[in-house]
Amino acid sequence: MNDAHSSLGVPERDPRPAQRFDDEQVVHLERGQLVTETSRPVPRAALSARAAGGLWALRVFAALVSLMVMYTFIDQLR
Amino acid sequence: MTVTPTELPLTGEDTARSRDRLHVHRARGQNRRWLLLWLLAGPGILAMLGENDGPSMIAYTADGAQYGLAFFVPLIPVLFAMAYICQEMCMRVGAVTHRGYGALVLQRYGRAWGWFGAADLTLTNLVTLVAEFVSIRVGLAYFHLGSGIAVALGLALVVFTLSGGRYRRWERIALGLAVFNGLFLLAAILARPRGGTVVRSLAFVPPGGNVNTLLLLLASTVGATVTPWMIFFQQSASADKGMTARDVKHGRCDTAAGAALAAVFGGGALIAGAALLTGKGPGIQGFTGAGFPGALTHVAGSAAGTVFALGLIEAGAVAILTICASTAYAAGECAGVSHSFNSSPRNAAAFYAANIAIALLAAVVILIPGAPLLSIALNANVLATVLLPVSLVFMVMLANDTALMGPWVNKRWANAIGITVIAFVGLCGAAYGIDSFLQATHLIG
Repeated sequence: MNDAHSSLGVPERDPRPAQRFDDEQVVHLERGQLVTETSRPVPRAALSARAAGGLWALRVFAALVSLMVMYTFIDQLR
Repeated sequence: MTVTPTELPLTGEDTARSRDRLHVHRARGQNRRWLLLWLLAGPGILAMLGENDGPSMIAYTADGAQYGLAFFVPLIPVLFAMAYICQEMCMRVGAVTHRGYGALVLQRYGRAWGWFGAADLTLTNLVTLVAEFVSIRVGLAYFHLGSGIAVALGLALVVFTLSGGRYRRWERIALGLAVFNGLFLLAAILARPRGGTVVRSLAFVPPGGNVNTLLLLLASTVGATVTPWMIFFQQSASADKGMTARDVKHGRCDTAAGAALAAVFGGGALIAGAALLTGKGPGIQGFTGAGFPGALTHVAGSAAGTVFALGLIEAGAVAILTICASTAYAAGECAGVSHSFNSSPRNAAAFYAANIAIALLAAVVILIPGAPLLSIALNANVLATVLLPVSLVFMVMLANDTALMGPWVNKRWANAIGITVIAFVGLCGAAYGIDSFLQATHLIG
């Protein structure tokens, strides 16, 4: 495994010397599951103005109701 | 798609995950269905039984003690069916994309939304974790043990489960503990509900003059079945476990089994609570001092009280593990650093630190004398209910994202149910939040 890493010039992120790794195990991991793959961000989605507006409205509403709940909780303690 | 060591650089995290996948592959190849189900079970059961936590079980018991079974017995299966719909989406997105919820929201919809989600999660998790320690404290108080023991027990458990450097080890320990959520069912049996009492409680009508308390219990009961941490946890845990699109069917079984068990055990707490039902009895705050285990002992005997107290300790302990994990996943995903139980502490320092730090912070809070225990427990669930719709909307959006999910996108009926759930949860949270605020500010009587 170390040879493979050095040949690719990519540093190993989690070198645990006691680890045993053989081909039989590797072939059962999908490429998309590898840390090198999941570390790459997925492309940004384009949100329509209406969708973005709806999300912000929901966000503000949830924040306001949360503040009400917290106020009530603190008020109950007094 | 498969890979060999020479194709891509591999990390210790990959190594650990692929070992688990080897067992899955062998079980699948040998057509050993039960073994395959056992190997792939975990995130769904843990999310559901983790949510049968201290505040939830206290909420169910308070429901039973205050209103009997009539209102909530039919509601619990409906709520867990609702939880299944949400959690199945999380599992599916995690298995297909191999990424956690926090990472996908942040990368797909922008950093602001990712960090908002993580901030909401941290807030609700902190409050909920306080309630989990409270739950352990209430359980231990029955055995005349103090807050210090509760704090030490909770923290020791978090550190112990993190020590292995393997997702599978963490998951199996948590699953082993979660089995004891069944103690609530045992408590219900020991409470010996008589047929006549059960029938009378089914006919019990909530008093009309106490709408705010009913709304609090309703909102906290909704918050007892689906919460933001469950969404973060199940998606991230499914990815961390190494599940793939081929495992979605088993992931559904895992989630359904978790929902069924949680509904039955939650029903157990409700029935045990109904043993305390007097109609004109003490309000839910009245149980704060002695605690439900003590009250149950008085009504149904020491065995029922002891089992209930042990159940509260278990409920708090399992939830501490899963909620700390969800916080750590979210922190790691949003910060863009290693976030896996399969990584070593050296390589995933932020993940391990977040796991321990939030537990430590919550533990400190419960050492403050005179904390209003039941109020914290119930309000933790309410806060989760209020913040849940935002998380659910992004969940539905991710599950409908064809670029990410391909053929695994939501079906129309799943979207219809998902949107109904979001509306229901939003209404429950808003109804309590607004009504209680108006009462607190004396704008209504």
